Amino acid sequence: MTTQFTRHVLVPVANQEDARTTAQALEPYDFGRITVLHVVEKGEGVPDKTPVEQSEQIAAEAFDTFRGMFPDAETEITYRRDVVESILEVADEIDASAIVFRPRGGSRIVQWLSGDRSLRLITEADRPVISVPEALEE
Amino acid sequence: MSADDEELAKDLGLLSALTIGVGTMIGAGIFVLPGQAAAAAGPAVALSFVVGGVISLFTALSASELGTAMPKAGGSYYYVNHALGPLFGSVAGWGNWMGLAFASAFYTLGFGEYLATFLPLPALALGPVGVSEFQLGALLAGVAFIAVNYVGAKETGSVQIVIVTFLVGILTLFSILGFLQADISTLRPFFPAETGGTTAILPATGLVFVSFLGFAKITTVAEELKNPGRNLPLAVVGSVLIVTVMYAIIMVVLMGVINWRQLGPEFTTTPVLDVAEIAFGTIGIGGIGVGLLTFAGLLATASSANASILASSRINFAMGRDKLISNKLNAIHPNFATPYRSIAVTGILILLFIVIGNIKVLAKAGSVLHLIVYGLLNIALIVMREADVPEYQPEFEVPLYPIVPVLGAITSFGLIAFMEPIEIGLSLVFVVGGLVWYLAYARNKADKKGILSQYILNRADEMPAAAVSAASKAQPDGGEYRVMVPLATPRTETDLITLASAIARQRGGTVDAVHIVTAPDQTALRYAADHVDELEEDYHKVLDEAKRDAETFGVDVETHTILSHRLFEEIFDAARDHQADLVVMGWEDDTHGAPGRVESALDELTDGLPCDFLVMKDRGFEPEEILVPTAGGPDSDLSAEVAKLFRREYGSNVTLLHVADSREEGNAFLEAWAEEHGLGDATLRVEIGEIEAAIERAAADSSMVILGATEQGLLTRLVRGSLVLDVVDDIECSVLLAERSRARGFLDRLTGD
Repeated sequence: MTTQFTRHVLVPVANQEDARTTAQALEPYDFGRITVLHVVEKGEGVPDKTPVEQSEQIAAEAFDTFRGMFPDAETEITYRRDVVESILEVADEIDASAIVFRPRGGSRIVQWLSGDRSLRLITEADRPVISVPEALEE
Repeated sequence: MSADDEELAKDLGLLSALTIGVGTMIGAGIFVLPGQAAAAAGPAVALSFVVGGVISLFTALSASELGTAMPKAGGSYYYVNHALGPLFGSVAGWGNWMGLAFASAFYTLGFGEYLATFLPLPALALGPVGVSEFQLGALLAGVAFIAVNYVGAKETGSVQIVIVTFLVGILTLFSILGFLQADISTLRPFFPAETGGTTAILPATGLVFVSFLGFAKITTVAEELKNPGRNLPLAVVGSVLIVTVMYAIIMVVLMGVINWRQLGPEFTTTPVLDVAEIAFGTIGIGGIGVGLLTFAGLLATASSANASILASSRINFAMGRDKLISNKLNAIHPNFATPYRSIAVTGILILLFIVIGNIKVLAKAGSVLHLIVYGLLNIALIVMREADVPEYQPEFEVPLYPIVPVLGAITSFGLIAFMEPIEIGLSLVFVVGGLVWYLAYARNKADKKGILSQYILNRADEMPAAAVSAASKAQPDGGEYRVMVPLATPRTETDLITLASAIARQRGGTVDAVHIVTAPDQTALRYAADHVDELEEDYHKVLDEAKRDAETFGVDVETHTILSHRLFEEIFDAARDHQADLVVMGWEDDTHGAPGRVESALDELTDGLPCDFLVMKDRGFEPEEILVPTAGGPDSDLSAEVAKLFRREYGSNVTLLHVADSREEGNAFLEAWAEEHGLGDATLRVEIGEIEAAIERAAADSSMVILGATEQGLLTRLVRGSLVLDVVDDIECSVLLAERSRARGFLDRLTGD
């Protein structure tokens, strides 16, 4: 039995800007179900980098913006120290057919300091990962 | 957020919470201060630590009660602001923030001293300022601590537990070995005459109080604690008890091994290491002992500094939430997910304090500022108890109320009197700075009133007149609900003012009618101001009518005329300047300027509406049968609020519409949504199929539709003419488009309004 890559995609977003750009990049394509995910980075044993309240506000803004373009998108919020692991877990839970994400820029050093999540996501994933380019500016 | 999510966000257990407290506190007293402390009071300084512990204990109990009642990021500052209002909140916020910066500089300097024992660093002259080798080491370390917080590199919870366990273990071993070497005669006289005997105890407490500044940091992360009702008091009180006992024992041991006169700063910067050499030397490992204690000293001061930097970003966040500082400071870094600006600003202050300060002044200035916050915190607890607000339900209550908070307030403020004038003066600069800040900057931004002023103003008859007048004078201005109505043409004026007045009356607010007169680009505004009559002959008429209409509602009305080249942008600017909570404006195809006039500046506005907006497509103001289509989200929250206001004002019938894939799903959603928004008795209507067609069908039975914007930036697209809202054109009745300001909605969620 075969399935479509885009039957049910999981779209992780970091913040409002990311949600907007990602949604713009996805707009020209057809998808089945879309679940948009925000992972609140937790310390798990140490205080968090940001207050939970603020993280949740960022998630709400990102979801709003994303749903502005994809009103049927489902949303998911998780609280984990390891963002990449959390994305993979949610993908498993919702039985996503693929993970769709937009690698965020930044210099090598910034990527390295923030843990190079793009690389980890594509190497550790147990399902297809679709990387979308940034939409061209109007 | 569901209860499940709530639980997921809580990942700090009792042990983690204890390590935050103990890990922050243990650095200062033992590793940095014993030399100065010994010089200040001799062996009796052990009692100074006990006194400091007792003072902290009162406040720790109060902080625990407040923390279980209000587990909010920001801790002490939050309680003071909440209970005593933004005037004291500004003082507590700035005091707490600067106090943490001073304390961090102090810890970092301590780190520098330990670094200098094995790392040869040169002393430098930076222009007019000389930098000692300690300061240079501290500056390097400070930059490293700030960088770690800036990029958000975090040790795991287990590492922190290991660090604190290691520290406690090393110090216990040190105490035992030292105790075996201690000689009771070295401790005599316990109250040496040259320090002033027993009178030296309290001034020395002032010096060492910086050692206790960690317990309140647990409350700044109260929202992350599991089972806070139990764990918060245990961690806060427990960490104070643990460190007090350790401090007292170690002081006795230190001065039992080496006479206190030889521990002072003129002999050594790191007395702990001198004692370690002797204590561990008895079992032949003096060198290893010094190594272990050096390592422990570095770890302890680093973890204290680290925790303080993080805590200060929480204070900034909480102040930004209450609009006491700009929320721009709390922006989150897109890659690192850290409040990088707040950390950078605090970091610069810390580096500055390291360069200009000496260890004693930094320690005591940090203490004075914290003591002010602690004193206010105890008063905040008394206010919360006495005002008896129903939301105040602490899971933990201080024993012996009101004795504990009263003693906590008296001892906290009282200890300040034992500081030197320079430290008190330095701290007063920030207290006065906080007051000035409130009056000059924050007063007309903050909209949160303190419980205290509400309590006094609600009982204006029973309270002394002076208290009532003081409470009303110190009120934040942002508290009054203002509805701004930009008026362009007389044609729609009546309906817009009617709508605005109805809302203002329900909210007990004011209508601000603003007539925006557009001047042609070629006309200088100053010229236009003198010739308004020529631009619009009947410009008085619009506002006069607005005033009359609003007054029929018995609502306060203000009128303004604004001259501008750009109509729509002016509305945003005016909403900001006039501190509007809601803008009610009309929308006709030709109302707000020709397309193309709007400049790209509007792009920036899409992310930040200055306040809530209601845009009315006016086909007559008939609020009898209101239709609220909803798919959830903050904008339809605003629709629900407006619908409720109409229901109260006009007894309107409200129908909620939800378009879903299946009937059961739709019903379940709509029932929950209606319940959540206090519209449980509204008519519920679930439709299947195409959304716009469904809204049109339902609208045929309604006299007014309130439609939540589905996307931020709706207004921008509206004014550009790029938004095609077929549905609005196809409906026969009036349509209100509701768009919520994110900042405002966020605050509403917080205050449960």
